[in-house]
This record gives sequence, C-alpha cells and structure tokens, in this order.
Amino acid sequence: MADTMELRDIEVWDGNMAASHALRQVQVDVVAAYPITPSTPIVENYAGFAANAYVDGEFVMTESEHGAMSCCIGASAAGGRVATATSSQGFALMVETLYSASGMRLPIILNVVNRAIGAPLNVNGDHSDMYMGRDSGWIQLDAYNPQHAYDLNFIAFKVAEDHDVRLPAMVHQDGFMTSHTAQGVHTMTDEQGFNFVGEFKPMNDMLDLDHPVTHGVQTEEDWHFEHKARQQHALMTAVIPKIEAAFDAFEALTGRRYNLVETHQMDDAEMAVICMGTSVETAMEVVNELRANGIKAGVVGIRVFRPWPMEQLAAVLKDVKAIGTLDRSSPHGTMGMLFNEISGSLFNTDTKAVLTNYIYGLGGRDLTKAHLVGIFNDLKANMDAGKPTTPLQQYIGLRGPKLSFF
Amino acid sequence: MEKAGWDGFEIGAMLRTFDGAIQNIATTLPEDRAYSQSSSFTASVADWRIEKPLFNKDYCIDCQFCWIYCPDMSIIARDKKMVGIDFDHCKGCGICVEVCPTNPKSLLMFPEQKDEDMALAEWPKKEKKEKDTEVEED
Amino acid sequence: MMSEIKKIKNLKEFSTSADRFEGANLLCPGCAHSIIVREVLNATNDDLILAASTGCLEVCTAVYPYTSWDASWIHIGFENGSSAVAGAEAMYKALKTKGRLKQPERTPKFVAFGGDGATYDIGFQWISGCFERGHNMMYVCLDNEVYANTGGQRSSSTPIGASATTTPAGSISYGEKKNKKDMMAIMAAHGAPYVAQVSPSKWKDMVAKIQKGFAAEGPVFINAISACTTEWKFAPEDTIAITDLATDSLVFPLYEIINGTELNITYRPKNIVPVRDYLGAQGRFKHLFTKQYEYLIDEWQTRVDLKWEQLQRREEARV
Ligand SMILES: Cc1ncc(C[n+]2csc(CCOP(=O)(O)OP(=O)(O)O)c2C)c(N)n1
Ligand code: SF4
Ligand code: SF4
Ligand code: SF4
Ligand SMILES: [Mg+2]
Repeated sequence: MADTMELRDIEVWDGNMAASHALRQVQVDVVAAYPITPSTPIVENYAGFAANAYVDGEFVMTESEHGAMSCCIGASAAGGRVATATSSQGFALMVETLYSASGMRLPIILNVVNRAIGAPLNVNGDHSDMYMGRDSGWIQLDAYNPQHAYDLNFIAFKVAEDHDVRLPAMVHQDGFMTSHTAQGVHTMTDEQGFNFVGEFKPMNDMLDLDHPVTHGVQTEEDWHFEHKARQQHALMTAVIPKIEAAFDAFEALTGRRYNLVETHQMDDAEMAVICMGTSVETAMEVVNELRANGIKAGVVGIRVFRPWPMEQLAAVLKDVKAIGTLDRSSPHGTMGMLFNEISGSLFNTDTKAVLTNYIYGLGGRDLTKAHLVGIFNDLKANMDAGKPTTPLQQYIGLRGPKLSFF
Repeated sequence: MEKAGWDGFEIGAMLRTFDGAIQNIATTLPEDRAYSQSSSFTASVADWRIEKPLFNKDYCIDCQFCWIYCPDMSIIARDKKMVGIDFDHCKGCGICVEVCPTNPKSLLMFPEQKDEDMALAEWPKKEKKEKDTEVEED
Repeated sequence: MMSEIKKIKNLKEFSTSADRFEGANLLCPGCAHSIIVREVLNATNDDLILAASTGCLEVCTAVYPYTSWDASWIHIGFENGSSAVAGAEAMYKALKTKGRLKQPERTPKFVAFGGDGATYDIGFQWISGCFERGHNMMYVCLDNEVYANTGGQRSSSTPIGASATTTPAGSISYGEKKNKKDMMAIMAAHGAPYVAQVSPSKWKDMVAKIQKGFAAEGPVFINAISACTTEWKFAPEDTIAITDLATDSLVFPLYEIINGTELNITYRPKNIVPVRDYLGAQGRFKHLFTKQYEYLIDEWQTRVDLKWEQLQRREEARV
C-alpha cells in the first residue's frame, strides 16, 4: 500500500503540482512519461511521490513521448489505470498514438500543459497543442487555474473509465500561466479523492489470461467506417451525460461546480467573448469593470472542448448580439477554431449575432485587460451597426502594422 | 463472419479468440478449444491452393519435420504421430514435402483435384540412391 | 512463483505442443515468419502476452473480423511493438504489487515481434529505451532483410547487393550499397542478459535459445532469419532449404551473447557452403551473377569469412 499524504484543506499549489497530486490520489497503476517544459514538473513531482512511497504503481520514464504514450496504450490494454503528461513538441510527437488510444477505446488520462509548437521554438503557453488534438477522438477538458487542473483530473478518470464511455481524456491547463502559478487549491483527502473515482474496473484486459483478446486490428474499407462511427457515437452520446453526472457528484462532494460551458454575466449579456484557459478569468475581470459602467458584457468559457457542447453554446448565446471569438493558436489559412465552431453552432439557429475572430497570445504573449476592453469596443460597434464594423479576423497584441483578414 | 452494422460489435475493434473462458491453452488441443467466430481457425484458405500435399503413412517415420516446418499449423500431429493434413488451413506451399526425409517421400504434392486413393495407388517406389538420406535422430 | 521450463527433448515430444497461432492467416504460402512464431510460442507452456509492430506478421494475422492469436495480442504502430509489450509488462508488475492480478499464480511471458524495418530502422529508439529500462520481455526480430509488407523496399538490414524496390539493381547499380547493420552487437551493447541469433530451420538450437531467453530476467533480443519467398524470390517450398543455406554458408551465423559479453557460437556447419550457393538460390541477387557485378560475390565471401573469424576469436577470448 502506498502511504497516505496528509494535506491541508487549502494547499498553495501551481497547476502542475495540483495535477500531480490528483494522479497520486487516484492511485494510477502505470504512469509512463517523458519530460517537456512546462509539464515537466508533473512528471518530476510524481517521481518524487514514487521515491517516497506515496505511489505503489509503476512509474516508467520512457525514451520519448511517443514511447510514453505507446507504453500507456500497452498498459491500459493490459487492464489498469494509466496516465501521463506532456506539452507542445512532445504532444506533437505523440499524435500518431493518440489516435491509437482512442480507436482502441483505452481510457488513458493525458495532462496537457498547453504550449506553443515550433518553429520557431517557444516554451510558453498558447493553445496550439490543444487544438492539434481536437480530431484525435479524445475527451478534452480545459482548466483555467490550478484548482481546475486538480478537480478536472478526477472528473476525467471517472468519465473516461466508465464502461459506457471507455475513451481517453485530456486535461488541459495553460503553460506557465496555470502550470507555474501557485494559488490556493482546495484539496480532497487521499481517501475522498480515490473514492470519487473508485477502483479501476477492467474491460477487455489482456492480463485476464482466461480470456485472450486481440487489440489493434486492421480494418479496411469493409469495416473501418463502422468502427469509426461507433467511436464517434460513444463520444457524441455517452460522454456529455456522464460528464454532467460527474460534475454533479463532484459538486455534492466538494461544493465546486463545473459546467460544460462556463458563463459569466451571460444572463442579460448583449455581447460576449468566447475563450479558453486563463483568458476566461482575465475576461471575467474586464466584464465586471464594464458592467460597473452599465455595459451588458459577458464571458463564455469552453470547459468541455471535445465533445463540443454545441447545443449548450447555442442556448447560452441565443440572445447575444455581438460575439468575439478569441483563439490562442495560429489558424494557418482559415479562421480561428472558435470562430468556425461557434459559427457552426449558431448557423441553424435564429441568432442574428455579429461574429468576429481575434487571434491573440501566441507563444505566451500577454492578453491584457486593455486588449479585452478594445475587443468589447469592437463588439459594441458591431452590435450597434448590426453587421461587422471590423475585419472578421484581427490580430491583437501584435507589433507592426495592424494585421487582419477577411 | 457476417458484416455487422456500426453498433453490432465490440468496442475498439477488439476481438476475442474463444467463446467463454479457457484455461491451460498451451496444453489444450484445437479439437478441445471453443474457438469463437473471430478466430481465423474457423476460416479456410483452401482456395489458395493450386497443389495439395497428400500423405502416405506407409513410409512415414514420424520424424515430425513436416510438423515443425509447416508455416500454417496444417500438419496434424497427435501423440507424437503424424496423422494427416488440415486442408482448411494448408496453403499448399510444399515445404512439408521438401523436408520429408523418407524414400520415397511420405508427403507429395498433387493437383488440388487429385483423388487421394488414386494418388496412394500411384505413389512412387523407393528411389535408388548412392546412400539413403540420413535422418537426424531428434 | 517461477515457471517450469517446458521439456522438449526431441521433435516428437515437441510435436505434442498445442499451437497458439492459427491458420487461415494471410501470410504468403511458405512464409517463414509463421515458422518462427510457432517455434517461439511453442517453446513455453506459460501464458503469453504478445505484441507486433506493423508489418507482414501484423497485417496478416489480425484483419478484422479475424484474429490468428490464441494469446492476448496488441498492435499499435510500426515503431512501437516493444513499448506496447513493455507497457503491458509494467501493468503486470503494478497489479502484482497491488494484489489485483486475476490469475496471480500464473506467470505470463511478454513477447514483441517486429520485422527488420520495425527493429533495425523505425522502431530502434523504442527498443533501445525498453532494453535500457530493463523490462522483463523478449523482442523477436523477424529479419527478412526488407520491408516486405509494403512491397520490398530496402531496410538497414538489407545486405549489400540485394535488389530492393528502393535500391533496385540497374545498369549502373548493383542494388543495396550498405552493409547490413550489426543489430546483435548493438543489442548486446545494451547489456541485455541474453541476445541470440536464431534460424527456424535449426529448430533445436532456436528453441533452446528461446527457452534460455524466457528464463532470463530482463530484456531479451532474438534476431531470427526469416526467408521471404516473395521478396527474396525463391519458390515457397524452398523456405527451409534457403534458410539452411544462410546458416550453413555462415551468412547468418548462429550465436548468443550473454550479459553483453560472453559470446558462444551455437552452430558450426559440418560442411560450410560457399556464399555463392546461397546468393545463387535467390532472385534478389540474380544480377550479381553477371560479368559486371560478379566481383561482389567474392567480396561477400571475404566479408563472411572475416565475420566468422571475428566471432570465433570473441568466443575464444571470452569477452
Ligand atoms: C510510421 C509508419 N511509417 C511507415 C509505415 C508503412 N509501413 C508499414 S509496414 C512497413 C514495412 C515493414 O517492414 P518490416 O518491419 O521489415 O516487416 P515485414 O513486413 O518485412 O515483415 C512500412 C514501411 C507505417 N505503417 N507507419
Ligand atoms: S516429414 Fe515425412 S516422415 Fe516425417 S513425419 Fe512428416 S510425413 Fe512422416
Ligand atoms: S503444403 Fe505447406 S501449408 Fe500445406 S501442410 Fe505442407 S507445409 Fe503445411
Ligand atoms: S511477403 Fe514475405 S514476409 Fe511477407 S507474408 Fe509474404 S513471405 Fe512472409
Ligand atoms: Mg522485413
């Protein structure tokens, strides 16, 4: 038995430490990992727990992120709780295996500490890696601060390992802004944390020697489509209800409430920004200030990025007249992901909202309150005009001549 | 196996070899195993063959060379004896015939349509050689 | 609990094995991959947890809705069969520590199969990682010296002078220009407890080595020659004969290296066959038997003689 760790009710943890403790508390059976900034401390902290008898599972330091996820897949198929962490280039190196994990329906938990992807090389936080994962068939949950990074790990294990789901899940947090920023984090005891997720229940496990299984088959045109459809069906129909149930159970246990789509001052909002990660909290502060001046602004944060909460977003944005979508990843040849996804979510509704797109914060560039005030000024003008008064895509916080498209 | 719709199979394209539980697989012979529909054991590659091997037990010395070198688990050996060929899984490669050390060979290739009794009746006689093929004693 | 080593005195006794690999797979008639797999699997009565890298073995034995495997088996990709089985082995250890194994009294063996492409080339880093970490696993390379599954491209195991689709012989080329990578030396340099080169045609030597490998603690590397009727271009019934030519010409010498240093030659042909006979039996070397390229055959022979000499010296020196 691993030793129990006595935690204070509130610990001062950064996002990485919060995630490491969550992995320790759910008693992961195999962690196979490889270090990369800014997720390295998750791996280091966990190694420290293992070195001091707080972990009795296996901790495998692989030769690469691809090797780490490959080991995770083998371990998960063998039948047990599995997790790892990565960022950026490491995430990119893993991509091939991400599709294997989801296609084989293996409930691995991957903590992604979001970071830019080179070239040029950059160690700071943006959402390029998170966006790269969005077609890989994983559940993707987004934390805005260290508390979320802690809490969402428990949610992720509970949902992913559910036999009606059996899909891998990523818990995202912003590199440095969350991962290296220490804040007060409300903790659960080791027992509470473990019990919330519960014992791992194996399914189709290779180590059940009486029931040999074959994992990772070949399917060609006569079968592949059906298998991919089945995977999509699980992601689209089973996951959302399970996440909502887990959010409810988590609130009952801790008093902390999570939602598929997080909203701030949206009840009567005329205009809103939609964003992810730490930017949600910055936007909330700005909205509070705007509200003090009588401006009906609101914020929408994506909590569950995959599966995409389309109906919930359409409902939240129903009466909004101007929407700014804020993407922290270079869209390379099109509109930002949030612009496209929100467009798709609203297109068949009655909304007449004016929708625009902002590219910001690449490679860790700050998103300031002044930027957000500027965005809300644009939205106000769009709302008043009933049509875009700015180009559809604008770069903010960028040096040089103003850059915009469409 | 029937081509099921998208909701008609196990998740993750996982396949099970056996129906129900199986213990001591390594010592359970095929006839005592409950293969599932998804074991290739239940399928046939007989139509791959142009020629088939036929077995004449009169000359066989049960050396088991054919058993060890058959790539397709198609030499049926029971109780240390060669007892026949599994024609569902034999691909007609001819390795068993090549490695058979007896004179005449106890296995020979024939056209797929060849009648077994006819083949046995026409089986070649012992070939005169300077020295008989040496058989390794193991 | 230590598992018992299966008694295999002779071929008759061996033939009582119940195969855990099934027919009606899609491997070519006469494919040696299958013969190798059978000899490995039948060498033990213990449970098996298997992995394969993308390649002929994998694409021919798990094509939905059929599997040819009677033990748990996993495939992820071309490069990571080693890591797949290492992950499963790590889970086995974890569940053992935590008392959650379903059949705690049984001692499964962990085996990964990969082609030479998966082993010498694309998967090398993963294998190296697994060996450095010391997983309790066996890695078996099905060495057919070519990317057979994708139609015969060269690998770093393809020998000089072989014509492959990406190093074709032509009017100004004799085919592959590089010497076959010495994977045995590289794996032994990892300090692995057991590294061996085997030939399915020498079944007794091979099965003894597989059993030694299963008995070893830590990662074991097996390099198995796998004569490929399709890419080496010989008739399918000749698989065993060609394989024997490889071992008896010493093109593919059979030896083992224990703990990275102790080298033992395990097979000394009674009559050493000229390399020319081995090359001449295969279409992939056909162009060497022309005036233009014939000098390469003598060079081959020299290289093989030299390597044999080196192996014998190492064996003698016990280093
Ligand atoms: C990452 C990746 N690159 C390339 C391929 C294409 N590919 C599949 S199998 C293969 C060659 C396999 O060769 P080898 O490992 O020698 O096995 P063999 O088929 O010869 O047994 C290649 C190039 C792939 N599946 N994945
Ligand atoms: S190789 Fe020939 S002699 Fe030996 S067992 Fe087979 S059929 Fe009999
Ligand atoms: S012809 Fe080939 S497949 Fe058929 S029994 Fe002989 S060796 Fe086996
Ligand atoms: S191409 Fe070669 S290795 Fe591949 S299945 Fe055919 S004979 Fe075997
Ligand atoms: Mg190959």
